[in-house]
Amino acid sequence: MLYVWNCDKLIFKPKINSMKKILLFSFMLLSALVTESWAQERTISGTVTSAEDGSTMPGVNVVLKGTTNGTITDIDGNYKLSIPTEGGILSFSFVGLTTEEVEIGTQSVIDLAMSADVKQLSEVVVTAMGISRDKQALGYAVSSVSSENIEQKSESDLGRVLKGKASGVQIQQQSGMSGSGTSIIIRGMNTFSGSNQPLFIVDGVPFSGATNEQGDFVDGNNGSSRFLDLDPNNIEDVSVLKGLAAATLYGTQGRNGVILITTKTGSSNGAVKKTEITVSSSLFANEIASMPNYQNEYGGGFDQSFGWFFSNWGPAFEEGGSAGWGNQPAITVGANGNPVLEHPFSTASSATGIPAAFPEYAGREYDWKPYDGVKDFFRTGIIKNNSINIRGASSDGMVSYNVSYGNLKDEGFTPGNTLDRNTVTIGGSAKLTNKFRINATMNYAKTDFKTPPVAASYGSNVDGENASIFGNLFYTPRSIDLMGIPYQNPITGESVYYRQNNSIQHPLWTVHNAGNIQDTHRAFGGVTLLYEISENLNVNFRYGHDVYSENNVNFSNKGGKTGSVANRSGVYQTWNNTNTIDDLNLAVNGNYDLGQDFDISFTAGATSRRDVFDQNGVKSTGQQVFNVLRHSNFAAQDEIQTFRERNILAAYGQAEVGFKDFTYMTLAARKDWVSNLSEENRSIAYPSASISFLPFKAISALKDNNVVDFMKLRVGYGTSANFPTGYPVASTLVLNTQTFQDAAGKDVVTNTSGNVLGNSDLKPEKIGELEFGLEARMLDNRLSLDFSMYNRTTTDLIVDRPLDPSTGFTITKTNVGEIKSNGIEVDLAYDWITNNDGLNFTTSLNWFKNQAIVVDLGLDTDIVVYAGFSTLGNAAIKDEPLGTMIGTTIDRDADGNYLVNAAGSYQIKEGNNIIGNATPDFIMNLNNSLSYKNINLNILFSWTQGGDIYTQTVQTLLGRGVINDEGVDRANSFILPGVNPDGTKNTTQINNSTYYFSNVLYGPDEMGVYDATVFRLQEVSLGYTLPQKILDKTPFGVVSLTFTGNNLWFYTPYMPKNSNFDPNVAGLGIGNGAGFEYLNGPSSRRYGLSLKASF
Amino acid sequence: MKKIIYLIKLTLFSGVLLLGSCESMELDLTENPNLLAPSQASPDFFLSSIQVDFAKEVVEPFGLTGGQVTRIDYMNGRNYLNAYSPNSFDREWRYAYQRMMSDIHLMNTLAVESELWYHVAMGQVMEAYTLLTLVDFYGNVPYSEAFLGSENLNPSVDDGASVYAAAIALLDDAILNFGKTAVDPQYDFYYDGDWTKWIKAANTIKMKAYMATRLVDASAITKFDAIVASGDYISTTADDFQFRWGTNEIQPDTRHPRYADSYTSTGAERYMSNSLMDYMTGKDPGAYSTPVNFDPRTLFYFYRQSSATPGVDGEPADEETLECGLYTAPNHYAGFTYCGVARGWWGRDHGNDNGIPPDGFLRALAGVYPAGGALDDATYDSKVNGDGNGGNGITPIMLASWVNFMIAETQMIVGNDAAAKTAMFEGISKSMDKVTNSATTTDRFDWLFGTATNDAYPDTVALHYGPAVGYTINQFDSIFQVDLSADWDAATTTGKWDILAMQYFVASYGNGIDAYNFYRRTGYPTTLQPNIEPNPGGFIRSFYYPANFANNNSSVTQKTGVDVQVFWDNNASSPGFPIAN
Repeated sequence: MLYVWNCDKLIFKPKINSMKKILLFSFMLLSALVTESWAQERTISGTVTSAEDGSTMPGVNVVLKGTTNGTITDIDGNYKLSIPTEGGILSFSFVGLTTEEVEIGTQSVIDLAMSADVKQLSEVVVTAMGISRDKQALGYAVSSVSSENIEQKSESDLGRVLKGKASGVQIQQQSGMSGSGTSIIIRGMNTFSGSNQPLFIVDGVPFSGATNEQGDFVDGNNGSSRFLDLDPNNIEDVSVLKGLAAATLYGTQGRNGVILITTKTGSSNGAVKKTEITVSSSLFANEIASMPNYQNEYGGGFDQSFGWFFSNWGPAFEEGGSAGWGNQPAITVGANGNPVLEHPFSTASSATGIPAAFPEYAGREYDWKPYDGVKDFFRTGIIKNNSINIRGASSDGMVSYNVSYGNLKDEGFTPGNTLDRNTVTIGGSAKLTNKFRINATMNYAKTDFKTPPVAASYGSNVDGENASIFGNLFYTPRSIDLMGIPYQNPITGESVYYRQNNSIQHPLWTVHNAGNIQDTHRAFGGVTLLYEISENLNVNFRYGHDVYSENNVNFSNKGGKTGSVANRSGVYQTWNNTNTIDDLNLAVNGNYDLGQDFDISFTAGATSRRDVFDQNGVKSTGQQVFNVLRHSNFAAQDEIQTFRERNILAAYGQAEVGFKDFTYMTLAARKDWVSNLSEENRSIAYPSASISFLPFKAISALKDNNVVDFMKLRVGYGTSANFPTGYPVASTLVLNTQTFQDAAGKDVVTNTSGNVLGNSDLKPEKIGELEFGLEARMLDNRLSLDFSMYNRTTTDLIVDRPLDPSTGFTITKTNVGEIKSNGIEVDLAYDWITNNDGLNFTTSLNWFKNQAIVVDLGLDTDIVVYAGFSTLGNAAIKDEPLGTMIGTTIDRDADGNYLVNAAGSYQIKEGNNIIGNATPDFIMNLNNSLSYKNINLNILFSWTQGGDIYTQTVQTLLGRGVINDEGVDRANSFILPGVNPDGTKNTTQINNSTYYFSNVLYGPDEMGVYDATVFRLQEVSLGYTLPQKILDKTPFGVVSLTFTGNNLWFYTPYMPKNSNFDPNVAGLGIGNGAGFEYLNGPSSRRYGLSLKASF
Repeated sequence: MKKIIYLIKLTLFSGVLLLGSCESMELDLTENPNLLAPSQASPDFFLSSIQVDFAKEVVEPFGLTGGQVTRIDYMNGRNYLNAYSPNSFDREWRYAYQRMMSDIHLMNTLAVESELWYHVAMGQVMEAYTLLTLVDFYGNVPYSEAFLGSENLNPSVDDGASVYAAAIALLDDAILNFGKTAVDPQYDFYYDGDWTKWIKAANTIKMKAYMATRLVDASAITKFDAIVASGDYISTTADDFQFRWGTNEIQPDTRHPRYADSYTSTGAERYMSNSLMDYMTGKDPGAYSTPVNFDPRTLFYFYRQSSATPGVDGEPADEETLECGLYTAPNHYAGFTYCGVARGWWGRDHGNDNGIPPDGFLRALAGVYPAGGALDDATYDSKVNGDGNGGNGITPIMLASWVNFMIAETQMIVGNDAAAKTAMFEGISKSMDKVTNSATTTDRFDWLFGTATNDAYPDTVALHYGPAVGYTINQFDSIFQVDLSADWDAATTTGKWDILAMQYFVASYGNGIDAYNFYRRTGYPTTLQPNIEPNPGGFIRSFYYPANFANNNSSVTQKTGVDVQVFWDNNASSPGFPIAN
């Protein structure tokens, strides 16, 4: 061994041989450092700026014409070049800009402003590890979204703002609640056990986009996705690295694609020498977008008889007719001449304590009429968003800085739901000497999310431990005065409501007495130190740190009526999640011309990343004094504690070779070592290669055509791997100090064997992807096309394999099988009208399709249920698409006829039957952008075709009889098509409530599955920029006013019309489950005005 | 490879120096800090967990299911094929194998090393009972290939007979181990360290196993009789093998599961079985002043929250709380109770799957025995959590009274009616004694049996709403036994079997495992209330395999139905047997 590493010191144990190696290494390092200029006759220098906005231009090629002598401008647009004594022409070139040639003469300083080449539209994009590259050189797909498409939007969640703006990216909200989680999946799922969420890199350093849900979907899984801590108004641009060839340098972390975010703070572009202050201020309204169209003919009850039921199958609000209230002894004509009932508080069971607590309601009349409680329950939330950004640079341009502050107050449409966010960012860069440069950003965010509890509900309370605000809301019978019936017992504080045994928790009680809070303090940022060894070679060291501290509270006062006994006794849970990412990265970057036709740029580096998740808290139960939320006010305490750490060490390298200006090849590789697997399975190497070829530049015969202005063909192959999280190889033992009590009431301590079978042979999941692409611009650059096709294979899938408990374990992580997925992404844009000083009209479209098929699940299993319930969830089944949904179906006979039982209802077939597939057939977004002088209008329309959803909301609305199925008369009866078990044709008549209640709501799961096709007006913005003339006399540089709206309209052709259900909801939370919804919450519609001014 | 890692570490060393930390570089973080390691286990801690799991996760749920299909408890499901979906047994299966039996095996490794023979023996008894029950409910189940972890992820099933044999071998071994000298475990929740009673329990479980297999094993009855002859079995209620629950509501919830489901702040979540309440309240519910066949245990088993059952026996119907009271019984219910039992024994018919009306504070609740609820004192209060005995009940596993019923069965099959009758009445008396002692003395005498307190319950009220005032419990018991004795003497052999079966079922209340076995073994009683569904399919002869077993184990395929007979059931196939279906 050469040297011994231990954590505190590096101990060299030199042997003669090793000593030599070290000396050699040191010499190489030194020689690299001293390699400097070559003797030349004179030096010319200058700064290149953009003619458009005066910003400095890095990366511009500066060549002495006719020679290979040249350089590129540095990050501040400066260049310096040694040239022979006299004459010569300097050529400045940059892709997308008009090449400029300048006679040198005797000048020693040549500054230049370069302008865009309209014929040569091209762009520089940020790629892995922050390397800026000319897009034409890329052999893989990258989507970019710039600040104007992100800022001043009514959605405050960056993830949701990006929805529809890049092809291949699927964005799904958990619900329309402000601050609820958001799922981002790029190019479909690769795995069903690991995370499919992308890596976030903000200003070069890793950033956690995790969603720490407060529980599981059954007990309530509120929690924000942590990219919510970014203020969209402070984002300069977003690059989405979709494929593996693009993300190789990030290793395992980049397997799901990478979202590279450059904040305004971290951006080195556009530093202006004067100070510029930009202020934006927005005010939006936030409304429920998916309010059902309730019927107002019938009220609460069952079988057209009145009762204080959950269901709305009671008598009509009309007096006459067979279903009229006139037939009900309980409903009479009251003192006010209207039909009345005895108030539910007057008739409630005395055991509920209601009659005693509300003596004033004894004998009181209660109007039998439809109430619009659900509508009145919601509010219009107000969203205020203010931000200020200040940037500038020292007069010599050596130091630049950017400071921003953002404040968001986002009020949900649900009472009790708010999101407050304050962000402060400071960033800057400085040239320390000619050789050193330092860049640093520091961000602080405080995000406070508060919501009433939301948990899976089934049209009859919740099934989990806690309450859910929506669990008892949407099916409120029409005759229930939701907003008028008191919700709190004045003596005990407990929930009171209309049901005679008080078994429904009043939604208003839930709003006022239960909630989930997630208050997050977050600091993140990085420091990059760059040392220029020579013009062609630099070394940079980067340290990134991201820490957040989530303070979670889950509380419910005592007196709730749903969930566990513990919940009803009052619960108070407080815990903190501290998540830390430490990222170190050291890289050498070089850039050389190799003769006339070849140039090479390369990066090689080493990196380490440490992730620590530390959760600590207390859960208390048994509240003593009502409404006092301190642990000391609770009878019993229990611990909440989890700790996870994982380190990744890696070495990586990338080389790009360009041949002339039409062929580029990129080779990259990375090797990761990950700390939570056994040593032999701990590391893996990821090679990748990609080629970009520009035929219209390469083949002279093609150059002069009038149709195609630019074409690029690309092909890339990349690999990655998915490492498990947690401690999958460990064998464990569970200790419980409170399993039971002995006769004396003393807690009994127990051991039980761990249910997870540790697997020391567990290997990382391997992913390979082949990608083809075509990019083209045609018809005078009016039409542009970016087409990608990929084929992805995941092997050695890490499966949370459920085990038969008779093995002694219930689950193990193991490697099995294979998933193959393929997809197509198309970005198409056409400029209908381009009139630089007048009217411009562009339509752009992106289209995406992905399908993943489970090819193999290993030898001894044919189904793995990976999300949801084990009998109603998402399953991987051999030869079926990933995203397949399983559940119970209508039982069928050998001929496929439905089986109907003697009661006239469908017979249920148990087992894991396929009931749908959650994966959409395709997703399309269409954006029309129209501008005329100072006015611009953007309309983003999205279309998700297909994909199924099992929706409890729709089942419940129909099954409880609060909405009418279109074209169905409640007075008519049904005879379900099918046969009786004895083979005869079913002739049993059932009424409406039996059909909807017993078959739709509580029948086979299949009955709750709908095609989730949705057309949506995703985003509209109409902006007006004040003319420059007016501003000339004011201190303002730019003033613009924008109206934006989000989710203004949607249409679901296959959903029951009156449900008005929005399938943009993730009932299983932010994970791999899809296509299930358990009354998780409606979607939101937001609109309002935003003002932006800079001075 | 190592060198490369060193090189990376070296390369990043500068950064580490800057930050003063190098924990980022550690590459061996495979141990889970959130849980203990298996080497830290304690045999006492294991044994405590095993004992609680045995009662709570094995006997209770299987006992309830067995009761539901035999109408001791209410079953929700119009169709036998769908009444219990495979996944409804996932929890039992998981607890039986992954928790309880796995823990026993892990504990044994430690216990044998330390010669903790009582630990081992208690584990053996509980494992044996669990194995017998698994076979009784599912037929062939894994055992010889089970618990092997990664060595066998797909254990094959063993023939039920061989699992039974293994269970009996475990019991034999347990009897030997109880005879040894060893350190007592920290807790014995069953007999508090009385090892002679444990030996009796082991022998009695063997009797139950022999009885179960009597149709397929000619020597079973001989073996059964041998234990009877030895006298070393549970013969008095003091020997009863049972688990005692507590009253703590949360953290941990130590209450009887049936109590927790019945006594809540929003009323009952569980229905009582109309079929059993109808039988126990006797032939003439209208004449409680001179009750016929009124079983006094009724008032201990069920607590009435209402004095009347709407729509039943002349009471006005209430569509809001008991809709079926509006309707007449379906044709196939002729001769059976329908909708509810009069005077507040308000439960549900076998198979009824209707939605739940707001009747949680109106329907009958689980009573003081065995759930630890309230004694029915004809006050008809609505009960919430904390009421009654607070859940401080028992789960019966093997009772002295049940042994008498088994003995009665051995006499019936040899045609010795008289001996059967003697044994049966002995069982009834033991059960009566046990049940009536489940409420405190004061309760019993404050109540309408007994000596006084007629002031508290004026005749008019009591006569209208409940059994007669003035009888002592012993008088009630003797009236009941006299009635039953007359019935027995008047009955045909089939009638006698029906009486024996019904009385066995009544005594089994709280654990229907043996009742379910009896029903499939003998086909009696023939008089049970049928499923509300006229065509419910054949009776469940064994249950579907649990979903987590059938779906995750490639060596097994799910049963195509619920008509598969377990190895000891060689009776005619379903439907047709048992007669009551």
